[in-house]
Amino acid sequence: MWADAIRAEAFRLTKSRTTWFWSVFFAPILMLALSAITSFFIKANEAKLTEDPKIQADLSEMLATVPLDLGQAMVTNAASLSNPLVVAFMLIGAATVYAGDYRWETWRLISARNTRTNQLLGKLAVVIGLALMAMLVMLISSTIGDMIQAGIFGRGLTFTMDAGDVGQFFALAGLSLLRIVQFTMVGLLAAVMTRSLLVALFVPLVLGIAQFFVPMQVLPPMGLMPDSWVSILFNPGGAIDSIKDLVKGGEVAAAVPDHVPVRAWISIILWTLLPAIGAIASFNRQDLSKE
Amino acid sequence: MRAGAVAVTLPTMSAVIETRRLTKTYGTVKALDGLSLTIPKGGVYGVLGPNGAGKSTLFRILLGLIRPTDGDATVMGGTIGDPKAMRRMGSMIETPRYPPFMTARQVLTWLSLAHGLSSDTNRTDRWLERVGLTQAADRRVRGFSVGMLQRLGVAAALITEPELIILDEPTSGMDPPGIQEMRALIRSLAHDDGLTVVLASHQLLEVQRVCDRVAIMNKGTLVREGTVSELTTTSERLRLSVSPLERAAEVLGDKGAVDGKALLANVPRAEGPALIRALVEQGIDIDEARWVGTDLESVFFTETGAVQTPEHDHVG
Repeated sequence: MWADAIRAEAFRLTKSRTTWFWSVFFAPILMLALSAITSFFIKANEAKLTEDPKIQADLSEMLATVPLDLGQAMVTNAASLSNPLVVAFMLIGAATVYAGDYRWETWRLISARNTRTNQLLGKLAVVIGLALMAMLVMLISSTIGDMIQAGIFGRGLTFTMDAGDVGQFFALAGLSLLRIVQFTMVGLLAAVMTRSLLVALFVPLVLGIAQFFVPMQVLPPMGLMPDSWVSILFNPGGAIDSIKDLVKGGEVAAAVPDHVPVRAWISIILWTLLPAIGAIASFNRQDLSKE
Repeated sequence: MRAGAVAVTLPTMSAVIETRRLTKTYGTVKALDGLSLTIPKGGVYGVLGPNGAGKSTLFRILLGLIRPTDGDATVMGGTIGDPKAMRRMGSMIETPRYPPFMTARQVLTWLSLAHGLSSDTNRTDRWLERVGLTQAADRRVRGFSVGMLQRLGVAAALITEPELIILDEPTSGMDPPGIQEMRALIRSLAHDDGLTVVLASHQLLEVQRVCDRVAIMNKGTLVREGTVSELTTTSERLRLSVSPLERAAEVLGDKGAVDGKALLANVPRAEGPALIRALVEQGIDIDEARWVGTDLESVFFTETGAVQTPEHDHVG
């Protein structure tokens, strides 16, 4: 049963402290440390920055000790829960889950009593759970970072979040989760095709970097603009960012061309489902006696 | 049973494993070549064969890890891969490996969950005790010796309390006391707990001591099958110290072979006295006559054609 596969995979993951540290805790701790250092640096250079006429709006607010609205900050942070640092380190956990049974030669122990599809979907469910944990810890870390920043600059704290904000928060968090899951799907396919944890880790990373740069650097000289079919299909991360802009509303939403959302959803669905289907199909035909 | 013969089981025995013309090819290499084998319920069943005989391929097919090229098989009454049948069997293929960060107890809990059982610590502790790993229950497996991994592998195969367990080289890498304990455990599982144990081993003496029935495979086919006593008794040969040797060899014809200064006569035990009388009547002096070649090792080397060296206590 699928539930058995999920329970077993989740149990094993809970025992891997290294995986938890790198995929769930490292990025938030690093971000928190960088945020605190940045705040201290800005505070130390406050006089110089205040005189700068080109100062950014949020920096200006910070220095002017405008009260910090934690509710609004959480909504903003929800959109960045799938930032490259989180996604990259989350991939360590995903690759461990997807390729661990090849690495430890344990498929033969568990594959006889459950369907292979259930077992792979069990891994997928656990990776989604791990991504949710990574996002939750990142959100907590970001909020703590905001509070530290408020303390350094002497800003007051407020919390406002109406029903619209709650909806926006969950929509943005959901899209961030979708981005992480989509990204790890390439890792799942790589893990099954190559039976290698390292390949499961590095193929999505290299592909992700290519997907980010090619639509900006390579395709425009070929006459393919960022909102073209090819560009959007090539870059699922950019596609999810476009949908996030629509959810945020206001000027950012207005800047998204009308034809982009449909193309973006198609890109996201293709990049999420095709690797998963490919991995399941390949896994069902695989000789698991050779690990 | 001779090669090519259809496997026959006594009517009172019910089979736990039946293969019919099972074939597996890897490119041009035939790992299994039309293997028909019936393994009866109960006792310890040994599968013997030199490297490349097809033992591991057979086990992997039975466990659903690979698919046969041709032929079919039933395991515990179900087809290969049938989840209901698979739930009634456990296995250990070669030296098992586990996630190195887990303890022995955690490994068994993890496998229990994977097999749809609860994380019952009584069950895991019981099997850890049975394989002699109680003291190491909370140690991480990354520090385990090969022998300890083998024991944990057997516990893992038993955690679901199956009716049939398949063990590939269960004593591999173990020290002599460990081998003795494993042998006792295997016999206890078969004769006290009522499990059917199917094992492959290179250790011929080990197989002779622990198994009730044996199948000898070579080049993907079954060459002999039967109880250990059947195989060893039917392989006895009469060793004759005679003179003149050449004259005695002529009398024996293709039933005899020269072995140093003696003759080995390949005749059933019942025909021994008549053969001796015939030789005496031909004027041949007989200094000594005794039955030899009663161990499984001799049978194995005869049937598989493997090269036996003086140091050979197991086959590669």
